[in-house]
Amino acid sequence: MLTMKNLSKIYCTHLIETHALRGFDIEVREGEFVAVTGPSGSGKTTFLNIAGLLEDFSDGDFLFDGASVRGLGDDARSRLRNQKIGFIFQGFNLIPDLNLFDNVEVPLRYRGFNAQERKRRIELSLERVGLSSRMKHYPAELSGGQQQRVAIARALAGEPRLLLADEPTGNLDTAMARGVMELLEEINSQGTTIVMVTHDAELAQRAQRNVHIIDGQVSDFDRNISLLRPRAAAVAIPA
Amino acid sequence: MWNYYFKLGLMSLRRNPILTSLMVLILGFGVGASMTAYTVMHVLGGDPIPHKSGKMFVPQLDTGSAEDYKAGDEPDLQLGYLDTDAMLRARHGSNRTAVYGIAPIVDAQRKDLPPSGEAGLAMTRGFFEMFELPFRFGGPWNAAEDDAGSDVVVIGRVLSEKLFGAEDPSGRSVRLADRDYRIVGVLDLWRPVPRYYRLLSGSSPTESEQVMVPFRNAISREWRNDGWTNCNGSSPDEPGFAGFLKRECNWIQYWVQLNDAAAVAEYRDYLAAHLAQQRKLGRFKRPDNIRLRDVREWLAFNDVVDADTRLQTYLAFGFLLVCIVNVVGLLLAKFTARSGEIGVRRALGATRGNIISQYLVETVVIGLAGALLGLALSYAGLLVVDHYSFESAGIAKHDPWMVAATVAVAIVSAVLAGLLPTWRAALQVPALQLKSQ
Amino acid sequence: MELKPILKTLLRNKIGVAVIAAQVALTLAIASNVFYIVRDRVAAAGQPSGVDEANVFRIRANSYRDIAEPMAQQKMDEQMLRTIPGVRAVAMVNQVPLGQSGSNSGIFVARKQVQSTTNAAFYESATSMVDTLGLKLIEGRDFLPEEYLETDGEPPYPTSLPIIISERLAQLAFPTQSHFAGRVLYRGSGDDATELRIVGVVEQLTTPWGRSSWGSQTGSESVITAVRLPSSSPQYIVRTQPGTQTEVIKAAEAALVKPGDGRILEPANSMLELRERRYRNDYFLSSMMATMTGLLMLVTASGILGMASFWVGQRRKQIGMRRALGARRSDILRYYLLENFVITSLGIGIGVVLALSLNFFIAEGLQLARLPLDNLLVGMLMLWAVGQLATWFPARRAAQIAPATATRTV
Repeated sequence: MLTMKNLSKIYCTHLIETHALRGFDIEVREGEFVAVTGPSGSGKTTFLNIAGLLEDFSDGDFLFDGASVRGLGDDARSRLRNQKIGFIFQGFNLIPDLNLFDNVEVPLRYRGFNAQERKRRIELSLERVGLSSRMKHYPAELSGGQQQRVAIARALAGEPRLLLADEPTGNLDTAMARGVMELLEEINSQGTTIVMVTHDAELAQRAQRNVHIIDGQVSDFDRNISLLRPRAAAVAIPA
Repeated sequence: MWNYYFKLGLMSLRRNPILTSLMVLILGFGVGASMTAYTVMHVLGGDPIPHKSGKMFVPQLDTGSAEDYKAGDEPDLQLGYLDTDAMLRARHGSNRTAVYGIAPIVDAQRKDLPPSGEAGLAMTRGFFEMFELPFRFGGPWNAAEDDAGSDVVVIGRVLSEKLFGAEDPSGRSVRLADRDYRIVGVLDLWRPVPRYYRLLSGSSPTESEQVMVPFRNAISREWRNDGWTNCNGSSPDEPGFAGFLKRECNWIQYWVQLNDAAAVAEYRDYLAAHLAQQRKLGRFKRPDNIRLRDVREWLAFNDVVDADTRLQTYLAFGFLLVCIVNVVGLLLAKFTARSGEIGVRRALGATRGNIISQYLVETVVIGLAGALLGLALSYAGLLVVDHYSFESAGIAKHDPWMVAATVAVAIVSAVLAGLLPTWRAALQVPALQLKSQ
Repeated sequence: MELKPILKTLLRNKIGVAVIAAQVALTLAIASNVFYIVRDRVAAAGQPSGVDEANVFRIRANSYRDIAEPMAQQKMDEQMLRTIPGVRAVAMVNQVPLGQSGSNSGIFVARKQVQSTTNAAFYESATSMVDTLGLKLIEGRDFLPEEYLETDGEPPYPTSLPIIISERLAQLAFPTQSHFAGRVLYRGSGDDATELRIVGVVEQLTTPWGRSSWGSQTGSESVITAVRLPSSSPQYIVRTQPGTQTEVIKAAEAALVKPGDGRILEPANSMLELRERRYRNDYFLSSMMATMTGLLMLVTASGILGMASFWVGQRRKQIGMRRALGARRSDILRYYLLENFVITSLGIGIGVVLALSLNFFIAEGLQLARLPLDNLLVGMLMLWAVGQLATWFPARRAAQIAPATATRTV
């Protein structure tokens, strides 16, 4: 699904160059649930931005779904994001002016589905997160956990192959966080690849594989650990 | 997709009603003010007879004295009687007319209607055809009456209704300056703007002439010009009106119709020959200085759109410019406040084009609302201008072109105002975080 | 309060600053030029005519039948008007100041001169126009009774006429002199030019057209001659005792024309009406322009207000932080007012250049003099005031942000 080889990302300000990523190698296979951990400033978010085609990289190679995305134009990236990637943000990032229905509709509009198809998908995905009765509500009327479910519904509505989650439970209390996590595991079990950035070790444990980023590189130590560890999560939830 | 953008635009405008109405108000005022001023200029500077304006010409001859001649001097705008008489008789060109202003006193000889002074024209019958005067009853006097200067008159609709009500007064008579004139026709309302047939007129620009008599008749009755008369050179030896006719006084507006370039060239030759012949009689002491201007050239040469009107128009467009800059600021603030939303939309797969379209549609919606307000305000503005400058004669008013132009100016202004903010919004990178304050 | 942090913040908001500064600059450029034009028009429209305007009116009768003895008719009319109670003086004239119709002629200082020195309005008055209009003689004398000439206007023409001229014309004709009575001017040039002997000079007498709309003439070049001509539509000027004009006009209108005498009456016009009519367009232009400038200031104020509100909204947390760190309300208020002062000043700087270049073009078109600096100064002060005023409200709101805002999320 994702293959990054010797990838580097350098931010240039007028005084200093910052290497956010250097010699970064990673491979995420179809259907995996990968947790990315690492200390603040290690390059986690940069990795996620590049993986989600939100940002370009400076050097190296990146194959997305088997095709290189190097030098891909802005519109082509937008299209790839729209069709193959779903995002879940720490801050939920729902558009406050739109009700749930309209929020979930956003990516479908850009996808070009007709009204009927949009409606079908919105209803289906809201049902999946258990919020189909609240379609006309606005985000401000929901709890944090519910908002994150809407965000997940929005990410799922386009049936993406890859789900990128950035601290999806960071703003939630423990009970809500557990619910969201269970939902993600269920989604993964139905075949969607998930890459989740978190600094919560407990959550990371529930993923099939952990990747630890330190100083813009994948830490070898963790790579080894992850290979040794049994696929606990896969066992816990039947497919 | 466009109706999606339209829906989003409306939603966004509704969310912030004060900001939205402020933008619409400012745009509307800018558009209203500038289109009011522009319409006045358009009305005053318009071509009053588009299908014929290239075929109707004003000849000018230089009768000034030799002593104070400077190269490049313009001849007078009008002609004197000597040249007018000769040119009328020569019958060059496919049609021609000589016209001057008169102010006869009309006496209906009725107890209930005291005599009243009316603005009028003395002209040859070519005038009716050349300027396409609409007749309500009857028609022009005939050629024989024109040449003989008979006591016949064409009256305007306003005067006709005042004297005779709705009925057709053709054949009846009316007393002009104590003599009976036979009415041959009644004009319908005719008030071209600008009054190109006689720009140097004596009466007010909104009053339309109600009495028209044959040129030769007015001359034989020694009716003086009610308008601009410019005399050069020495006074005549002969007394009275006859002496005045022989003086180098310019007071008659002359028009000739020339249908093609060959006719124009032929007419110039004729004028040159006329000048050469008159020189032998001791007239025309200056070098040949013949001008032949068609309607558009004539209007431009006479500055029908005066400096004040132009100044107001520039000022109004300056005002519109400030309004546009103002809306740029407001949109910038509005769009910046929504940068988080743009980031999310971009992350969810919106292309730059999607974002640009969405915001342009939003500004066009503002433009449309501004157009409506601007149209209403320019209607009000034109009423005010019409009242003060044209005595509420309905001269300053919209035509379909100006309505379309108003809408276009409003939308273009809104889009112009939206360009920079939209471009800045489109540059927004897709983001995983809605930045919170 | 230091400028440095303000400048740094503004540098990070270049576009917002540019938008406000551009508005201020355009507004200053337009407003200062408009003030100038309006002032010029209002001054011109208020220019004294030299006439006792409050107490003078014009009335005329048009005949539509040949009048056997026009001169006798005129004298009868004058006599009749003089008998109306409240009338001080009556004169038959060929034209009236600000009446917008009349005749003028080229004036020559020497017989052999080729180009005329100037054009001047030619008033013909059958009795004293100085008395009837209430003109102020500053040199020489009024016409003597024997100087009034009765002529039918046909040749042979008089070769020499006594005249009274306006001081403005005197100065134009004899720029180096200070005494004009006894000097000679000519109407026309060459051997058959009429000699005009100056017997008196009046301080001011405006022409029938007043100020020319092109500003090239002062509209005060006038000549009075003592001539009575026959006319089929004589006009009379009448000067009344103060406060009696309305009654005198009523009586004059009732008495001047009688049914069946072959004449119609043109309603009387007071000098004030004539002035209003003459300068109607100038007043209209001035009020239009003043209105537009007022709106312009409002629009600019709303722009400043909108942008300041937006910035305050954007910086709520930052302001709360400053308050938490010890900034007083007045510090916050001062910060925003100073910030606006900096932006407005930037706009004014650009606006001054713009105003002067705009004036260059307008002055060409309208033949006006260059923009006087006091107009520019007034514009600048107004914009500073508008800027401070428009910032005051959002700045006050900013000052009221609680320090606790700093610790709140979202």
